[in-house]
Amino acid sequence: MTANNRIKENPVKYYALVLFVVSLVAACVMSIANMLTRDIIAEEIRKEFLHGLQAVLPPFDNSPDEENVELNGYKVYIAKNSGKLVGYGVSTTTNKGYGGAITVLVGADIKATITGVVVLQHAETPGLGDKITLVSWTGQFVGGALSKKFAVKADNGDIDQFSGATISPRAVCDAVNVAATILQKVSVK
Amino acid sequence: MEYIMLFISSSLVNNFILIRFLGICPFMGVSRSINVSVSISLAIMFVMTASSSATWLVYRLVLVPLGIQFMQTVVFILIIASLVQFVEMAIEKTSPQMHVALGIYLPLIATNCAVLGIALINAQDNRGFLEMLVFTIGSAAGMGVAQVLFAGIRERVSFSDVPQAFKGMPIAFISAGILAIAFMGFAGLVK
Amino acid sequence: MLKQALKTLREGIFDNNPTLKQYLGMCPALAVSTSVANALGMGLATTAALVVGCTSVSIFKNSIPRKIRLPVYLVMISGLVTVIQLLMNAYWHGLYKMLGIFIPLIVINCIMLFRSESFALKNGVFISFVDALANGLGFTLALVLMGAIREIVGNGTLLGAPIVTTMPKTLIFLLPPGGFLVVGFLVAGYGYIYKKIGGK
Repeated sequence: MTANNRIKENPVKYYALVLFVVSLVAACVMSIANMLTRDIIAEEIRKEFLHGLQAVLPPFDNSPDEENVELNGYKVYIAKNSGKLVGYGVSTTTNKGYGGAITVLVGADIKATITGVVVLQHAETPGLGDKITLVSWTGQFVGGALSKKFAVKADNGDIDQFSGATISPRAVCDAVNVAATILQKVSVK
Repeated sequence: MEYIMLFISSSLVNNFILIRFLGICPFMGVSRSINVSVSISLAIMFVMTASSSATWLVYRLVLVPLGIQFMQTVVFILIIASLVQFVEMAIEKTSPQMHVALGIYLPLIATNCAVLGIALINAQDNRGFLEMLVFTIGSAAGMGVAQVLFAGIRERVSFSDVPQAFKGMPIAFISAGILAIAFMGFAGLVK
Repeated sequence: MLKQALKTLREGIFDNNPTLKQYLGMCPALAVSTSVANALGMGLATTAALVVGCTSVSIFKNSIPRKIRLPVYLVMISGLVTVIQLLMNAYWHGLYKMLGIFIPLIVINCIMLFRSESFALKNGVFISFVDALANGLGFTLALVLMGAIREIVGNGTLLGAPIVTTMPKTLIFLLPPGGFLVVGFLVAGYGYIYKKIGGK
């Protein structure tokens, strides 16, 4: 077999060559796949985020993910309808979740009331803490003024917590409050 | 203080084996005796820490700047495989005894979901180097605890009268399930 | 040729099911089988990787020197899985997010390692292809069974559609312990039924 003959001549060189060729081929194949899928993946991620924005902001026809302003290190997304400003959204993260970080997206209108809250990412217990993703639950924040400090019922607030999972709702309240403060500052500007 | 919380959370609350399901192969295959479990756990801890450090550095310093994050799986696997090869040679030279004892397990450690898994997790999270180390060592320690506990349980179970259909692996899985329930009790330990 | 292929097929799926008999591929099996949809997705992705991977190993088995077999093989398989990962991220984005870290872990899936080491390396291309397919399907079958049990008992649904509404949802089956328990009973049940049917 030719392979064995070449090995007898100079084994290390041959091994290195084979390894190099294989790695090169693999790298090329992966790079091609990456080039082909890169844009599609970016588009999927953008679609997801836009979906979230649509859920929390008043109806808009611009691209809030592209039109945004910076405030205190946060990106505030501006929503416009027919050129007129209708609302803003911001995404905040809290580390006080049961299973770690919870990221929420909060939207408000120009009257400084919350129009929507959506949980983008979380690691809460399925079946227990993950009820925070239910629209029926996040709907509790809608209509609240940006100046209001949200808290769970156990902390003298009016946000419903579910028995056995106070930590998750409390963390979301925390994230929403931070977001509300940012949005308030923006609406003043 | 935060590091202690991180350690507890990575070793117990989010136990690699019983909650995250990484590292099951050695867990099920090797944990029949407590002694072997301890050795394997230490070996895995060493490999995980060394490979996570190496892969973390390569990810931050090479892959991200060049924008080739998609190559991470290949690069990480090669780093891990080389590292284990190196460790195996080192053990062979320094302690032939240990080499004979652990010999068959070393390839198992290299191609272990836990080792590659933690490298990938560390690459995604935005942790600093020291945090990453604490997380990795904590996770490995948690794996060790789970393994030793499980080995103890299995030693006991081997003396029990187990129904024929359940002998061997099935009862081991069910015991692991009960152990996992116990570990769920740790949730809430880190506020 | 065909007879051998059919025998190999049957062995991979039933007689020697990689997960239920050989206990391979446990990590993803336990983690991903919380719903039939996830189980199916994972199983098919793994089968695709197995088929292409093992067939490639078999095609090149004579050109790769023994000493560097492992690194070459790792590069091949991890390159392949990376491509699968990118494709899934682009075209099956929802599934990709659910399976998460377990997609790249297909590379070191014990089934992958075993089948290529012990079979593909020593057998012809066609039969390696069939063997990989059989093991992949066997793995998928085991996963879907687990997924069905866990989804029905834990969530009352099957593929998202509500099936059982009278029984309360037994959450533990969707959580980690449930995975272990279901696997234990499934493996016991599988072994028992298999013996009764007259297999080894």
